[in-house]
Formats: sequence, structure tokens, C-alpha cells
Amino acid sequence: MHGIKRTRLTPQAAEAKKLKEQGKIEAYLALEQDVLGRKRRKEYTTEFLDQTTKLLDLNPEFYTIWNFRRNILLGLFPSLSPEEVVSHLTTDLRLTTSYLLVHPKVYWIWNHRKWCLESVPSGPGETVKWKEEFWKGELKLVEKMLDADSRNFHAWDYRRYVLSSLPTQRPLSDELKYTQSKIESNFSNFSAWHCRTKTLLAIWEKEGTGEEEIRRAKDEEFELVTQALWTDPNDQSGWLYHRWLIGSAPPLEVLQREIKNIQDLYEAEPDSKWCINALAHYTLLLSRNQTTNDEDQIRLKEEARRLYQRLEEVDGDRKERYRDMAERCL
Amino acid sequence: MASTSTSASSAIKLDIPLHIKYIQNLDKRQDLAYHLTSHLRLNGIYWGLTASHIMGQPYALDREGVIEYVLSCWDDEAGTFGPHPNHDGHILSTLSGIQIMLMQDAIDRVDVESVTKFLLDRISPDGSVSGDSWGEIDTRFTYILLSSLSLLGKLDQIPTEKREQIVQYISRCRNFDGGFGRVPGAESHSGQVWVCTAALSILGRQDLIDIPLLGAWLSERQLPNGGLNGRPEKLEDVCYSWWCLASISILGKLHWINKDKLIGFILGAQDLDDGGIADRPGDWVDVFHTLFGVAGLSLLGYPGLEDIDPVYCMPAKLIDKLGLKKPYATLPRMVSYP
Ligand SMILES: [Zn+2]
Repeated sequence: MHGIKRTRLTPQAAEAKKLKEQGKIEAYLALEQDVLGRKRRKEYTTEFLDQTTKLLDLNPEFYTIWNFRRNILLGLFPSLSPEEVVSHLTTDLRLTTSYLLVHPKVYWIWNHRKWCLESVPSGPGETVKWKEEFWKGELKLVEKMLDADSRNFHAWDYRRYVLSSLPTQRPLSDELKYTQSKIESNFSNFSAWHCRTKTLLAIWEKEGTGEEEIRRAKDEEFELVTQALWTDPNDQSGWLYHRWLIGSAPPLEVLQREIKNIQDLYEAEPDSKWCINALAHYTLLLSRNQTTNDEDQIRLKEEARRLYQRLEEVDGDRKERYRDMAERCL
Repeated sequence: MASTSTSASSAIKLDIPLHIKYIQNLDKRQDLAYHLTSHLRLNGIYWGLTASHIMGQPYALDREGVIEYVLSCWDDEAGTFGPHPNHDGHILSTLSGIQIMLMQDAIDRVDVESVTKFLLDRISPDGSVSGDSWGEIDTRFTYILLSSLSLLGKLDQIPTEKREQIVQYISRCRNFDGGFGRVPGAESHSGQVWVCTAALSILGRQDLIDIPLLGAWLSERQLPNGGLNGRPEKLEDVCYSWWCLASISILGKLHWINKDKLIGFILGAQDLDDGGIADRPGDWVDVFHTLFGVAGLSLLGYPGLEDIDPVYCMPAKLIDKLGLKKPYATLPRMVSYP
């Protein structure tokens, strides 16, 4: 159970609740017994689908019943016209939509939805219109889910799945726009930042983007993330993204420029642990840059060590980590 | 008497007898919520039994009753355990069945050959692992496959090339922040971090983990109130605390979080009237968070508890006996608390 406040019931109230539940329990158990009995006897009939709906209405997490429902439909489909199959799948998609609005994090409901979509036949006629329409509808649904909870990882995963399944692929730049709108409405949405890293990598890979062009694209990203960092330097989402942009071997000018930018922020926010943490890490990166001479290397490492020591004070809960990091600067 | 309210609240302790009683009474509740969660029953027994072991009372549940129940969950068609009689077999309930039978020293009553076949059939050519024949993919299932097979002593039944594919698949789920997601492309999440870290540990492939990077990410999951969250900018939770803690223990960096604050957070999530531990202070308790609360306290060296193995989430004694112990760090057991 997650996030449900504990309440204390008086013995009388508990007794009343129990009595009130008694009828519901009996009805549920009777229905469960009926459905599981038919499942055991492999009674795969259409009339019976309604019974599984009733049971799933009461308990959409009962995955065995979802399995049973699919088996009934699978038994049915070979004798149906494509139109009838589509009609059944439409019913099931509607059903799962209504469940997901109440239970957005139940794996089994998402699974059934995927099965429905993957079962949509070609047609009508020689076209693949059904598939096109169904998958496009999914994109709308998942956007609605992400509007309701912009961090729901089920919905983000499902979005990636839908995008990769669309019969006509959308340009990846659309996804970049989508993550941008999500980020701009809330800089703290790390799920959107994460998705942006994957989208950019996919674009660069697909288009065989050259080093120079990637650098220019990253410069734009640095501008976006800098806004986030200045808006709330205590929010780690932007810092994580910044670190991804920097990577393990950034061009010298980029590294120097970003260190300078963060130093400006550090002056305005001297207690921001994320600021100090980024400075320490990037200073170490700079010390390892091949153009850095021995003398500067020693100086930079010493600077990084001092920053980690400062973190031991600013962020005491993680002081042992900073101590370990400071030691690695020696 | 003379103690102030602050020292009184800091003196909260783990109420072991109360939690044992809570676990023993779970089956007596039989309210609507009990019946609506029958698809988690076998997992529930594993959670309760493991918590009892860690609290030093391995015989808290009726041994023969538990064994009979596990056997009644067998799904002949799938050739493995379902979560409840007449429910379909699944990899989730398979691991719980194996864990319970091992803790009850009754694994000889399980059709190990059939379970092994069910498990091996779950591996897809791309190295992903499905939960059942319907094909859902998740790195949780990868972990469960490896944990189950190694507990059964059948890890060597995975052909070498498949083993390599599994490793590659886990790598594809790794993100720039050092963490792991549910499938390739998915965001890092501490639950998935634990399953992937533990899976790589079972395979002896910790070299694929960027330990300083992931260790830092995990330590940043701790919030000012001491609890840990599952992802950046989310709420703390006792179960996420365990997943982070077990992972960071496998990485050997358990000292990178504030132990005292986390102990305080877990203890604060107890229901000191009726027993059990909740996701966070003041919420309804359940057996799932009760196990992960107790398990977290054990890793942190809380006094009076048995050791837990962070890779298998089972009593360390049993894992040692099976010869499955992997490298990990725990904190020394305290003599008293606070
Ligand atoms: Zn939880």
C-alpha cells in the first residue's frame, strides 16, 4: 500500500465496516469461484466474457483473469470477421482505458492493452487504416496519462513502445518538441530530461550526425539546461542532464565555458551542493584534459579536493562519499 | 519520566514481538482487501516469512501449513507456481515459491526440473526475460530468473551464449546516470537498479557497473528526513529505501548514506499499536513494507536482527550455506540502539 493515511477505527466502527463488507466479500468470492471454475473447465464462450468483465471491474490486478479473457478472445477470433475482431478489441481498449484512469500503475492493465493493439488486424479491405487509427489513439491516451502524472514511468515506457510501433513513424524531432514542452512546464521533470537524452542520441545515430553538428546541438541544450539550473539550483534534474551533456571527454572550450558559468551561479548560491558537486567533478575532468600541464593538474586536483571538503560541510548526510572523492583527488 | 519528548521519540525501537504478531495474524484478517490481493499471496508469505527469519523467529509461521499452501499453488499447465491455487503460473510467484521452500528446508518437495524448464523458456533471443508465456519483458524478470536458477543450483543450465545475451541486454538498460531501467530506453529507477545490480552480481559481471557514478546516484536518493526515494525529485518510501540500500551495499558503498537518519525513518514508519511497517510514517502498514523495513534495518546493523543477504533478500545464513554468497558490504551489528 502506498500513501494511504492510517486511521484508527473504534471497535464498533471496525465491526460495522466488517458487516458492510461481508456482502461484498461473498459476492466477490462467488464470482471468482464461478470464473475460475469455468477457466479450469476451459469454457471459452462469448457470453462468458461479461463475467470476466465483472470480476475485473472489482479487481483489475487479477492477471489470471486477463489471461483467461485473452484465451477466450483467441478462441473466438478465427471464426469472426475482421470487423467483429476490431469491435471486440475496441471494447477491451475502452475497458482498459477506464481502469487505467483509476489505476495508472497496474502492469497487468498495460499488458492487456498492448496485446489488444498487437492483435488489430489489417484492414478494412486492403488498407491498414485500423492499425493506423488504433496506434494514433494510443499516443493521445498516453499524452493524457502524462498530463495527469508527468512522472508515471509506465506511461513514459508505454509512450516509447507506441512510438516504435506506429505503422507510419513520426519524425524524431516531434519527440524532441514534446520533451521540451514537458521540461518547460516543469524543469523538475527528470523523466522528460531522460527521454530527451535518448531522443537526441537516436537522432544523432539515425542521421549519422558529425561531431561539429553534435557540438552545436549540445550548445543549444546547454542553454536550455542553464535556464533550469538558474531557476532552481537545488533541483537535481537539470544537473543530471548537464552532466550528460558534458560527458566523459568534453571539448576543452566547452568545459571551460561551463565551469565559468557554474562559478557564476556558485557565487550567487554559495550553499548549493549541486553547484559545488558539478564544479568539483568538472574541475577533475579539466585536470585530466590532455592539454593541462603538470603544474595545472596539481592545482586543479587540489581545487577539486577543496570543493569536496566543502561538500562534507554543506551536505553532511553524504560526507563519507565526499571524503572518498576527496581522497581520489590526491 | 524525566525524559523530554525529543529523547522519547528518538528512543523508538523496533518492536519485534508486535511485528511477529502482525505477520502471524495476516491470514486472519480476511477483509475485502485480503481477497482482492490473492494474486500476491505467495509473495506475501515470502515477505512475512523472510521478515520473521530476520527478526530471529524463523518458526513464526506454521511450517507444514505453509508448505502445503505453496504446493497447492502449483500450475500444472505452466509447470511452475502461481500466486494462489487456480491462478496462472508466473515468474514472480515462482521465485517466491522457491524462496519459501528453501527457508522451510522443503525444496525436495518441488518439481525442480519442471520449474527449471519454465525458467529457461523465459529467455528470449535478445537476452530479455519474460514473466510468462504472454511475453511481458522487464529487468525484474531477468533478476528473478537468475536468482531462482542459482537458488536451485541450476544457473549452469543457461547456455554460455544465452548468458552473454542476458548480460548484453542488462547493459542496454543502463543509463547515463549509472542506473538501470525496466527495458532499454527506460528511466533509471531504484527498484530496477537493485534487480540489475543483483543480477550482474549473480553473474559475476559487476565490471559493467560504474560504481562511483551509480553509488553517487543512490546516495542522492536519501532525503533530509532520512528516507530514500526511487527516482530524482520523488517522495521517500521504506521499500525504495531497501532497494537503494541493497544496491549500494552490493557496490560496497553503504557508508555513503546517513545510517542514523535512515534507521530513524524506518522506525518512524512502524505502527506501534497493531504492528507492521508502512511506506512512510503515518500510513497504513503492509507485509511488503514490513519486510523491506526490517531488511533495511538489518543491513544497517540494527541490534538483535539476523543478517540479510542484499543480493537475494533472504537470510544470509541460508545463502552462505548454499554457497551463493557474493561480495557486498554491511555495517557492523550494533550492540544497542540508540
Ligand atoms: Zn513502497
